[in-house]
Amino acid sequence: MAAGVAAWLPFARAAAIGWMPVASAPMPTPPPDNRRKQDGLILLNVSGQKFQTWRNTLERYPDTLLGSTEREFFFHEETNEYFFDRDPDIFRYILNFYRTGKLHYPRQECISAYDEELAFFGIIPEIIGDCCYEEYKDRRRENQERIQDDEDSENQNDMVPPDMTFRETMWRAFENPHTSTMALVFYYVTGFFIAVSVMANVVETVPCGTLPNRVKQVSCGERYALAFFCLDTACVMIFTVEYLLRLMAAPSRWNFIKSVMSVIDVVAIMPYYIGLVMTDNEDVSGAFVTLRVFRVFRIFKFSRHSAGLRILGYTLKSCASELGFLLFSLTMAIIIFATVMFYAEKGSSASKFTSIPAAFWYTIVTMTTLGYGDMVPKTIVGKIVGSVCSLSGVLVIALPVPVIVSNFSRIYHQSQRADKRRAQKKTKLGRIAARKSGGTNAYLQYKSNEVTASKAAGQALVCKANPMFDTHHNHLLHCLEKTTNHEFVDEQTFETSLLEVSMAKHPPHSPSLSSGSSSQGLSCCSRRNKRKSFNVPNSNMTGGHRNSIQELSTIHIRERPITNSRSSLNAKFEETVPLNCKQPYITAAIITLPMPPVTRPEDDGSASSPDYSQANIVRVSAL
Amino acid sequence: MSSCRKRCKREMFKFAQYLYRLITGTLHADSVEDELELSAVRHRPEGLEQLEALTRFNRKELQILYRGFKNECPSGVVNEDTFKVIYSQFFPQGDASMYAHFLFNAFDTDKDGSVSFEDFVMGLSILLRGSVQEKLNWAFNLYDINKDGYITKEEMLDIMKAIYDMMGKCTYPLLKDDTPRQHVEIFFQKMDKNKDGVVTIDEFIDCCQNDENIMRSMQLFENVI
Repeated sequence: MAAGVAAWLPFARAAAIGWMPVASAPMPTPPPDNRRKQDGLILLNVSGQKFQTWRNTLERYPDTLLGSTEREFFFHEETNEYFFDRDPDIFRYILNFYRTGKLHYPRQECISAYDEELAFFGIIPEIIGDCCYEEYKDRRRENQERIQDDEDSENQNDMVPPDMTFRETMWRAFENPHTSTMALVFYYVTGFFIAVSVMANVVETVPCGTLPNRVKQVSCGERYALAFFCLDTACVMIFTVEYLLRLMAAPSRWNFIKSVMSVIDVVAIMPYYIGLVMTDNEDVSGAFVTLRVFRVFRIFKFSRHSAGLRILGYTLKSCASELGFLLFSLTMAIIIFATVMFYAEKGSSASKFTSIPAAFWYTIVTMTTLGYGDMVPKTIVGKIVGSVCSLSGVLVIALPVPVIVSNFSRIYHQSQRADKRRAQKKTKLGRIAARKSGGTNAYLQYKSNEVTASKAAGQALVCKANPMFDTHHNHLLHCLEKTTNHEFVDEQTFETSLLEVSMAKHPPHSPSLSSGSSSQGLSCCSRRNKRKSFNVPNSNMTGGHRNSIQELSTIHIRERPITNSRSSLNAKFEETVPLNCKQPYITAAIITLPMPPVTRPEDDGSASSPDYSQANIVRVSAL
Repeated sequence: MSSCRKRCKREMFKFAQYLYRLITGTLHADSVEDELELSAVRHRPEGLEQLEALTRFNRKELQILYRGFKNECPSGVVNEDTFKVIYSQFFPQGDASMYAHFLFNAFDTDKDGSVSFEDFVMGLSILLRGSVQEKLNWAFNLYDINKDGYITKEEMLDIMKAIYDMMGKCTYPLLKDDTPRQHVEIFFQKMDKNKDGVVTIDEFIDCCQNDENIMRSMQLFENVI
């Protein structure tokens, strides 16, 4: 990645001309630019591995890179060869395509690397030969799914956009309970109440002993009717409130109402309200009793809480075709066997097979190898038909099941992988963030090394991988600073200056301030007088602090970075004088000494010098 | 009414088809493999000789430029998103996407939504090897967002905000919200001679030619390649 970005550096520097007319300060001089020697050889020398082939071979396919004049861009005169800085292993397959006309896909290569090489050399992947095409397609689909998964989970776990309305926050809390404590509490409370409600439904049918003046056993529901009614009311109220809140927070209400979970919610709470409405009407109380059955749908509300349930549901949905086929073939078989059975047993006396639909029950029980034994054939023909039925039942049911099972397994493993990847991604992002902060520090480090006599030593700290790139890049960032009259600083200075601004708003307590902000300010006193003379022209830079105590604080803050020797400061002063003639800029240049030397004692993470070189080296590759 | 009936019929037909597919087990057959699209965009630049004639780079420089270009964009053109990604890598602390957007529009001279190698190299030729007049022209073109020949305060404010966005938030002194606006005011005070609220190309070029700093900084990147 670094090579690619380094190649675009000239473009980024050229684009900096766009800032020039706007800048109010003169630009720093660019670093000396020794002519880079042409790096690399050029030819069908692919990363050092030499390939040779006839020119005609390549020109068989004139719409690809190697077959057209585009390859002239890669010609290297000195060694008289064409050089490509690409993967030689994959290049083998590409060259073979020119030779044999068939493109193969190596199984051990990564699919995205292979795709990139094909794109670079201008070959469309559709010409992969039949022998390797299926494998290629499968791998590619897997990759797409993985990328899609990553994007989805990224969208879900994104940082909260700063100005989300209350409604959006609520919806987010409902959909991802782990985003806030309130959401988590709500999630568990509803889960608990679903469980309580389902348990109550189950327990109220258990026989609970007899009433004192009756003989019959009564169920617990009738005995403690009031208690169960109160419990039911409480649960339904919670469910209703939850449903209404979700309805209110949903970004698209119509979509929400159409969704499966919302239908389940409605079905779960409707029986209660219908029961409230029609408790006194005798005719429909029978129907009302059946409605109570729907209360069991509350258990489906658990699918919001369980990923496994959702996967199961999703599998069934995605296997709808196989399930449908299974059902249809079973129905066919049932009808056939029931008919034959009926006619076979018609002759025998006291036969249980009174009609064909009655024989359905026998056929189903036999085909699924249940065999209750409540209906048994008595004639010989009946028994023969019965045995054929049970044998074929095993076959018909066993065939579609593995397809469903493999679907479930694939989806389940995918979700497992997604979880694992999410966990890995967090650590990966953490490491990348640490490198990036190293990048910022590298520039600040560069600024201190820029004009000191220890330039050589400084560059020894700076990375060896691509020093030219670094100096040019740092010069570019310096130009941006000059254009906008603001400097880059690192996090700590930024926070302390924020602190300082907020302190400016309230009456400051100077002792606490000085003690708080100058852990390094031991030798500040001696320097304060010297710096004071430079403070005056720069006071407008600090955003109008009039209060002398603020000046004190600004001195403190600004002096924290300055722990380098005074000789280096003077050196910087001398350097910058010929460059800028205006007073403010001189002080600005002096002030911008970096944090890193100061933070070394207190910030063990990224500030020690070996770590610096590490961070610097890493920075280029991270780019 | 007849359209309703037609729709009903169509729905019934689709439902019957669905039942049929359910029964014969071919429900998902054709929905699997249609997402692989041929990436159709491939662009090949003009030959080296033509580009040498069009720009002020010599052969070697063009070779170097093309190799870098092709590495990052194998398809031969840069679209705006790739452009933003590439440019943002140089400014990790801030958000370079707005300025990259304006840059993209300045490079994309034929307005086809992508920057080909020719556009890229011609833009670079002006910026690195052009005369000061040409560079100022280019800068004016960059600032004039709607390309109407005038830079208004709003356009300049957009550009200024984009430049300040690249700094990010960790700056010293603290970036305030009206810093870009103030900078725009300073700019207009300097450039807008007749105080009509817009800067024309002549005012711009005149003023820049009279400003030593700007003239000197224009020569800054002569030896970049």
